Amino acid sequence: MNKRTWLLVVLGLAVLVAAYFSYLTLGFTGTRCEGAKVRHGEVTDEQGDCYACHRKATPKVAQDWFESKHGMLLVKCYVCHGLPDGKGSVPFSANPSAEVACQRCHAPAMQRMAEKFGVRDHCDGCHGFHANSLHHEAFTKSVSKEKAE
Amino acid sequence: MSLTRRDFIKYSAVMAAFALLDPARATAAPDQGPQTWVKGVCRYCGTGCGVMVGVRDGKVVMVKGDPNNHNKGLLCLKGALLPAVVNAPDRLTRPLVRKNGQLTPVTWDEALTLTAARFKDVLEKHGPKAVAYYGSGQALTEESYLANKIFKAGLRSNNVDGNPRLCMASAVGGYTTTFGKDEPMGCYEDMDAATCFFVIGSNTSECHPVLFRRLAARKQADPNVKVIVVDPRLTNTARIADLHLPIIPGTDLALMNAMAHVIISEEMDDPRFHGKYAVFRQMVDGKPEERSFDDYRAFVAQYPPEKAAEITGVPAASIVAAAKLFASSSATMSLWCMGLNQRIQGVWANNLVHNLHLLTGKICKPGSTSFSLTGQPNACGGVRDTGSLAHLLPGGRVIANKAHRNEMEKIWGIPQDSIAPEPGLFTTAMFGALGDSVKAMLVLCTNPAQSLPNVRKYAANLRKDTKFLAVIEAFGDAETLKYADVVFPAAFWCERDGVYGCGERRYALIEKAVDPPGEARPSVDILVDLALRLGVDPKLVPFKNASDVWDEWREVSSHSAYNFKGMTRERLRKTSGLLWPCPTEDHPGTKIRYARGEDPNIPADHPDKFVFYGNPNGKAIMWLRPHKPAAEPPDAAYPFVLTTGRVIDQWHTGTMTGKVPEIHKAFPAAFVEVNQEDAKRLGIANGDTVRLETRRGSVDLPARVGEICRPGLVFTPFYDAKKLVNELTVDAIDDISKQPEFKICAAKVAKV
Repeated sequence: MNKRTWLLVVLGLAVLVAAYFSYLTLGFTGTRCEGAKVRHGEVTDEQGDCYACHRKATPKVAQDWFESKHGMLLVKCYVCHGLPDGKGSVPFSANPSAEVACQRCHAPAMQRMAEKFGVRDHCDGCHGFHANSLHHEAFTKSVSKEKAE
Repeated sequence: MSLTRRDFIKYSAVMAAFALLDPARATAAPDQGPQTWVKGVCRYCGTGCGVMVGVRDGKVVMVKGDPNNHNKGLLCLKGALLPAVVNAPDRLTRPLVRKNGQLTPVTWDEALTLTAARFKDVLEKHGPKAVAYYGSGQALTEESYLANKIFKAGLRSNNVDGNPRLCMASAVGGYTTTFGKDEPMGCYEDMDAATCFFVIGSNTSECHPVLFRRLAARKQADPNVKVIVVDPRLTNTARIADLHLPIIPGTDLALMNAMAHVIISEEMDDPRFHGKYAVFRQMVDGKPEERSFDDYRAFVAQYPPEKAAEITGVPAASIVAAAKLFASSSATMSLWCMGLNQRIQGVWANNLVHNLHLLTGKICKPGSTSFSLTGQPNACGGVRDTGSLAHLLPGGRVIANKAHRNEMEKIWGIPQDSIAPEPGLFTTAMFGALGDSVKAMLVLCTNPAQSLPNVRKYAANLRKDTKFLAVIEAFGDAETLKYADVVFPAAFWCERDGVYGCGERRYALIEKAVDPPGEARPSVDILVDLALRLGVDPKLVPFKNASDVWDEWREVSSHSAYNFKGMTRERLRKTSGLLWPCPTEDHPGTKIRYARGEDPNIPADHPDKFVFYGNPNGKAIMWLRPHKPAAEPPDAAYPFVLTTGRVIDQWHTGTMTGKVPEIHKAFPAAFVEVNQEDAKRLGIANGDTVRLETRRGSVDLPARVGEICRPGLVFTPFYDAKKLVNELTVDAIDDISKQPEFKICAAKVAKV
C-alpha cells in the first residue's frame, strides 16, 4: 500500500469519525436529552433516560433492548449499567458483573447454571444481553411489530 | 520511571483489555456484598413480590427476588433498587412539632403528650365524630388493624378511612355486591392456566411489571394464548396484545354489555353455570329487584355491537372478536385496576366484568377468574381485610349491620352496642370536613396532600388553624408534612417486622433486617403509646409488638370466612406467604375460593360444586347495569379527556422512588402525553411546554407527542410533587364505593 492510499484511508476514517461525532452533537432534535443538544456522555438531569438518546446514538443496541424480554418488561438500562455519572446505587459499567446485575432477579437460574457448567464471571458469554440469543421472539406477538409490518 | 508515549499507549491498552475481560472483579468487591439475607416483601405495588434483603454491617446493601415466593426470584426495576430508599439521607429521625410555623425537633414524650392532649381536648369538646384516622395500603396489617381498633372500639369513632378509598374501593364494592364477600376468588397461579387474558383498565406492564412478565411468559409458552387489552392508551401492555381496543374513556360499561350480548346471541354462554349459580338483579329507585335471565338478555340486547361501537369508538368487529375470544377460550382471566376503579361507575364496571365470567362459567376454575389487581402493597391484607375503612369492620363485616357490630363488640370485649352505628366519613368527606366538624386527624404512612383528587380544595382545609394534624411518616419531603402539626418518625419497611397481604390473598411476613435510623420507632409502638395516653382502655391494646397484634387478628379472623388462624408467625417465617382461607396450621392455603374441594369454608359433602357463600342464597348476583357517562365529559370549552396514572419508574407520590438516583434521573419530572394528530392541530411539537388546564387549575408540562394516547386524550403521571396534577383532577365520587373519578375529567391543552 503506498503512501497516497494510506493517506486516503486515514482521511476517510477521519471524515467518518468527524461525521459520527457531529451527528451525536448536532443531529438530535426533539425532547429530553436530545432537545438540550447535549454531547454524548454529558451528565444531565435525565441521564437515566438512556433509551431517548441511544435509539439515535447506538440504534442497534437500543432496538435490540427494546425488542428483548428486558425491553418488553421495561427492565431499563440503568438497572444493570448504572448511571453515567457513577453516582447511582448501581456501579456504572458498560459490562456489568453478574453479581451486580443478574443476581437480583436471576439468582435461582445462576445457581442452576453454576451447578451445570461451573461458576463463570459473566452470564452474557451464553446469554448475550444485546443479541438475539436472549431476545428471540420476545413474547411472540406485539402490536408494535404488527404496526411495523 | 520513564515512560515513552508509545509505552504509555501500550500500557493503557493492556489495562483497558484487562478491565474489559474482568469487570466483575473491578466492580463487585467481595467485602461489600451482603453478610446475611432476610426474607421480606417488596415495598411497592400490590403484586407483593417476595424479596431477600441483603444486609452488611447493619445496613441494607442489596435486594434480590425471593425464589420461593410467587415471583420466583424476579423483580421489577423499582424493587431491584430498593436499598437506596431505605438508606435515603433525608429520613426522618426525630419527632417534630410545629413551632412558630416551623417543624422543630422535640422529644418523643413532648410530641406524644401534645398529640394526646389535642385529641383529648377535641374528644371532650366535640365528641368522637370530630377525630379521624387516615391510613394506607402501605402500612403493615398489624398497624392498620390496631389503628382501626383504637379508633372504632377505643375512641368510638368510625372516621377511619385511607388511601384504598382512592384506589380499591370500587373493587371492594364490585366483589361484595356480586359475591357478597370482598377479595378475588383466584390467585396469580391462574395466569399459568389461562388461555385468554382480558386486561381492561390496567397498564399491567408498568404498574404490575412482574405479573405482566408472568402473563407474557404464558403467551410465549403457548402461542394459542390470546391477550385482549382494553385501554384508551397504546401502553406497553398493549405490545403483546392480540387485540387492542383503544376505547373512548368512560365507555367500558357499554363495551362489556355489548360483549355479553354477543356471547348470548352467539350461544356461547354457559346456561348450566349461570342457571344454577347466579341470580339477576337490577336497581330500581334505589332498591334491588329480582330479574330473570330473559330480562338480562333483553337488557344487554340494548347494546348491539354497532351501537356500542358508536359509544366506545371501537369497531363493532373488534367488540365481537373480543366477546368470542373471551367466551371460546378454555380458561379466561380478567385483570383490571384503576381504569375501572377510579370512576364514578367503578362498582358497576367491576360488576360487569364479573357478569362476563358468570355468564360464561369461566370462574372459580384454574385459569378462569375475575381478578382485580391492587395498587398498594397491603391494601388487600392490611385495609380491606381488617376493615379499616369508614363503613367496614374486620373480616368482611359492615358497620351498618347490627349483628356484625355486636359480633365485633363481643370479640373485642367492649359493651354491646358501643360501636357507633353509622359509618364514618369516607376520604373526600373526611378531608372536606377537616377544620370544621373534624378537628383532629392522624395520618399513617401515606401522602394525601399529593394524592387526593382536586387537591387544592382539600389543601385549603389542611391549612386551617382549626384542625390538628399528626402524621406518622418516614420521609421528610412528603407533601403532607407541609400541613402537619406533629410528625412522628416511623421505622420503614424492613426496619420492623409485619405482614403484607398482596392482591392474591397471600399474606407474607416482612422480617426485620435492620434497625430504624435515629429515634424512629415502629408504628405499632407509636399507636399503642398514643392510645394509652389518649385514655384508651389498656385491655384493648395489650400489645408489646406487631407479633402480639397479629396473634389477636388471627384469632379474630377465625370467626369469619377470611379465617387464617393457621398462619402463625412461626409459619410465616418459614414460608414465603400463604393464601387465606387457611384455618389450621396444617392447611396449605386456598387457591380458589367458592369451589368445593378448594375452599375450606364449603363442606366436602356440599351438594353444589360452587357456593357463593357471601350471599344468603349461595348464588352470585349478575347486575343489570347501564352505560352512563363520566361526571365531567369533555365539551367545547375543555375538549380533551385528562387521565392520570403511573410510569414504571416512579411509584405513587414519588417519596420513595425519588430517593433512587437511577429512577429519579430517568423520570425526574412529570410530562403530558398528547396524541400526534391533536398536537399537529394545536401546533405542539415534542418537548414544547404546554399548559394543561381543567376547571380546577392548570399545570405547565413538557409535551410528549406520539401515538400512545388516542386522539382527544391526554395523560400525565401524578408522582411529581413539583407539578401537583391532582390539582386538576375531579373529586366526583362513585355513589356506592365513594371512590373519586381520577381517570376522567375535561381538560384543555395549549402551547405556552
